[in-house]
Amino acid sequence: MKRLGLVVVLVAFLALPVLAGRVALILDVGGRGDLSFNDMGFKGTEEACAAFGWEMVEIQSATSADYLPNIRNAARSGKFDLIICVGFLLADALNEVAAEFPNQRFAIIDAVVNQPNVLSIVFEEQEGSALVGALAGMLAAEYGYPYVGVVLGIEIPVLYHFEGGYRFGIDWGLKKYAEVTGKTANVGLLWVYTGTFSDIAKGKAAAEAQLEQGAVAVYNVAGPLGIGILEAVAAKLAKENREAGPPFMIGVDANQDWMGDGNKVVASMMKRVDVGCYTAIKMVHEGTFKGGVLSLGLKNKGVAISRYQDLLDFIDFGIKAGAITEADRERIIENWKKMRASIPEWIWKAVDELEAKILSGEIVVPKPETREEMLAVRAKYPLTR
Amino acid sequence: MSWVWRGFRPVLESVLAGLIGLGVGALIMRAWGYHPWPAYVALFKESFGSGYGLASALANATPLILTALTFAVGARAGLFVIGAEGMMYMGAMAAVALSLLRFPSGFHAFLALFCAAAAGILWGLIPAMLRAYRGVHEVISTIMFNWLSHFLSFYLVANILVDPIRAEKTLSIAKTSRLPLLLRGTDLSLGIVVAAGLALVFYVFLWHTVAGYEVRAAGANPHAARYGGVSPQKTVLLVFALGGIAAGLAGAVEVMGRPPTYAVYSGLTNLSGFGFDGIGVAMIGRIHPLGIIPAAIFYGGLQAGARLMQMEAGVPFEMVRAVQGVIVLALALPELTRIFRVLLRGWRLRGERA
Repeated sequence: MKRLGLVVVLVAFLALPVLAGRVALILDVGGRGDLSFNDMGFKGTEEACAAFGWEMVEIQSATSADYLPNIRNAARSGKFDLIICVGFLLADALNEVAAEFPNQRFAIIDAVVNQPNVLSIVFEEQEGSALVGALAGMLAAEYGYPYVGVVLGIEIPVLYHFEGGYRFGIDWGLKKYAEVTGKTANVGLLWVYTGTFSDIAKGKAAAEAQLEQGAVAVYNVAGPLGIGILEAVAAKLAKENREAGPPFMIGVDANQDWMGDGNKVVASMMKRVDVGCYTAIKMVHEGTFKGGVLSLGLKNKGVAISRYQDLLDFIDFGIKAGAITEADRERIIENWKKMRASIPEWIWKAVDELEAKILSGEIVVPKPETREEMLAVRAKYPLTR
Repeated sequence: MSWVWRGFRPVLESVLAGLIGLGVGALIMRAWGYHPWPAYVALFKESFGSGYGLASALANATPLILTALTFAVGARAGLFVIGAEGMMYMGAMAAVALSLLRFPSGFHAFLALFCAAAAGILWGLIPAMLRAYRGVHEVISTIMFNWLSHFLSFYLVANILVDPIRAEKTLSIAKTSRLPLLLRGTDLSLGIVVAAGLALVFYVFLWHTVAGYEVRAAGANPHAARYGGVSPQKTVLLVFALGGIAAGLAGAVEVMGRPPTYAVYSGLTNLSGFGFDGIGVAMIGRIHPLGIIPAAIFYGGLQAGARLMQMEAGVPFEMVRAVQGVIVLALALPELTRIFRVLLRGWRLRGERA
């Protein structure tokens, strides 16, 4: 009888779903619904939880005064195997809490927090930016546009990676054009720091100005401002009675190729926040987690230029977020294929070539970290007409 | 007995209103498939059931007490001062600006608070004069000044007071100018003493001085007050100045006393809303300086507990905000109806005269 009881208990125990771990995902005031940075963090965490049998708790912040209490509350509860902070704005607060709770594991995206229990996940944005820069430079030369453009957010060091890589890439692309065609193109760069990551109208105004001067593509390095940039591109195209670019937008963070009906965003510099979150959870799950800096670049798929499979993945993402519907899927895919096919094959080959050279280490893209280093890169690649 | 009833009635009304709010909030959660009980347990257990939670509630209450005082002192004089938001930004800017200078510890903080109060007064000066001498309605002028302050502060944060190596925020408040934390490992700073102290000062002023009596008289019946020799211009200027002091201090204590960054973020994301939340708090506190203190602590507790509703009960952020809004609205109802009754009476009086 006693043995039977034991068996029953054992069976009941085994039948219970096993919860392998718990993760708290803490977001900054930007919050969910940006179809970009924060939603990507959620996506990666959700996927990891599904893969490893973990449970996720999502905590959004109403104001920036919530960062510290939100992280602290999660740490105090003691029920999380990992606490992921999405975004550099949370760095100060995490630095404090990580010291208060030395046995709690933390990860932060896009910032370096020097504590032994924090995994800092940063990205080699300059590598992906070089690829889209080369693409933009070659497009301008091929189509006879005088400029390429970029609209940036607040002037913080992370954005220097984007600007530096983009400049390098444009320069490389123009040289490639000369090599392939034997002609030289006079192409300049239009760039502006808008000072905001939230004022969509500013993004639109900045992009309008660049498109008016003849930019073939505007690279979005300001998160949500991309919505405004895309509006400006669409308006410019509508004025010329066309649907597909050029001019184009170049997407950022998420794959934004599906936005604007699939034919206005030529490519996206994907910064895979989702890969970062997934990797952090995987490390804890497999027992390989330790504090320090984890840098994600082209090599480990942390950054990438968007391709066909990414389009398919992110159309699902857009449908799930309610930005598009199932009915749009086929049309967007068709439009995208047509748009990509309209661009000469040699340009895509050249982009692949640059990627291979960065991967092999033959080419090292400049990665400015400070204002001084940025000024040096600007001086080396002035890109004025 | 009637004075006991007079004291208790508002409390009873508020408790009833609060219960109704909680009930409606529970129904909303139920309707969307969340469990109200664990959500409310998380909300109150954490905010009022633990020392840390209570400290969070008090820390959140600090700026709200001050902005609520701005609205309350105006309302006592019959004015709808919506301008706490803008005055508060100016106070915060003054506190950050003062950190560019070097002073000994303690004195530095005192000076920063003083300048923040002065900045609040200055920001209210033009709407006050427009009201006093030109009859421009304070609701219109203070809302406009809120936007002026909003964009001026945006500019200051991004260009003048910006941290040269971290452009997402202003310079951090100098160590000599920070308000010390009352409890380590919490957000609770000396600011709560400043806020509660000022509430006490406002109470004494309004109910135990001649000038305060005149302010209340002007609010209760402007015609009778003027007949009795109370200068309406003086009352308006005085009330705006007092409101400016409170709101200016609200911005200052928030940046000087809130760890870890001690700075204003670009987009004002750690400040925006205190001025408007203060109006709600003033309503819950029955626009009485001493009622405002528990009202603000309750409101601050709701904010602290809301953070845990997400974590403990899995209620999404947007739902938490909706439930919070319903509770606050319910609590503000008794005072709102009273204000509307007064307004209605004013219109009728005016109608009869015409």
